Amino acid sequence: MRLGACGREKEVAEMLARGHWPEAASGELRIHVEGCRGCRDLVLVKQAFRADRTAMAGRARLEPPGVLWWRAQLRRRNAALAQIGKPILGAQIFSVAMTLAAAIFYLAWQAKRGYGWLAWLQQFPRALHLEALLPDALSKYPSETWLVFSGLAMLAVMSGVIAYMASEKH
Amino acid sequence: MSWESAIPNVLAGETPALASASSDFPGMNSEEFAAFYERSARPLWAYLARVSGDAALADDLLQESFLRFLGADHPNDGEVSARRYLFRIVTNLLRDHWRRPRAASIEDIPEELFEARDHADACASRMMLGPALGSMRPRDRQLLWLAYAEGYSHREIAGITGLASASIRLLLFRARRKIARLLRENAADDGRVR
Repeated sequence: MRLGACGREKEVAEMLARGHWPEAASGELRIHVEGCRGCRDLVLVKQAFRADRTAMAGRARLEPPGVLWWRAQLRRRNAALAQIGKPILGAQIFSVAMTLAAAIFYLAWQAKRGYGWLAWLQQFPRALHLEALLPDALSKYPSETWLVFSGLAMLAVMSGVIAYMASEKH
Repeated sequence: MSWESAIPNVLAGETPALASASSDFPGMNSEEFAAFYERSARPLWAYLARVSGDAALADDLLQESFLRFLGADHPNDGEVSARRYLFRIVTNLLRDHWRRPRAASIEDIPEELFEARDHADACASRMMLGPALGSMRPRDRQLLWLAYAEGYSHREIAGITGLASASIRLLLFRARRKIARLLRENAADDGRVR
């Protein structure tokens, strides 16, 4: 198979690209194209594709450029936020790890001393006379009730924080 | 460096990344983009629609290509270069789209899957290009369109498609011969019907 066999293909291609074919072509070149398979194919294919390009371009239903601009801005901003969020997430993980380590260290230290701090915690509501605020029905419960209440309050606060963080991510 | 400068001021939106995200894209503001889009979107859509044979897919990929174009850090060498870069993006998007369903290479996918589905195209071109292109391999459609509809050189096509410049000449020669034969056959059939 001979590739690019015809030396006049370039000349024909240039005329086609400028839109000069066939009006500006010499009679001799036209006769050559009639007899040369490569040049004839080139003219046929080039004209077909150019005509089809014009027809197809007219059929395009384009989105307004402003919408694409806005979407690209949004995508870029989200990517930037995700990039910024990475060190913040790392700092959060680090702080949680440090807090846990400190809590474990403190518990271990207290365990060695015999949990004396629990007695102090039990005395804490009495020291503040908080039982005076409770209704009579609740006053019969032991002071450990405060531990349950504070635990529930902590759970409620944590649930709120988690729900807020989850909704913020969305 | 003070410790304050090491902490990004997220709430104030003053971090460099966010500041650049809210401003213009590299080398283009919104008015320039709108003008560039008006000039380049239609030829790009035509390329997508003809090569994929699917107008809806062309709509989707056109949008995605411009979004990627705006987000990319490409050299600002003028409109011709930017347009070539866009063609490269859509060519890659098409390749990704074809690869997604099953095969590792578009060469392994049977040609029937790429048959042009838009039968209204048969009337779009007086030269019956739609049906002829529909029976070509997708890679040949890409090469033919880039060479004969867009007028790109072999080297430019190599840059867009990622193929070797030397092999493009041979591939284009074969593809052109085939589509010329199909166009003549379609024209002859059309003449017989009329």
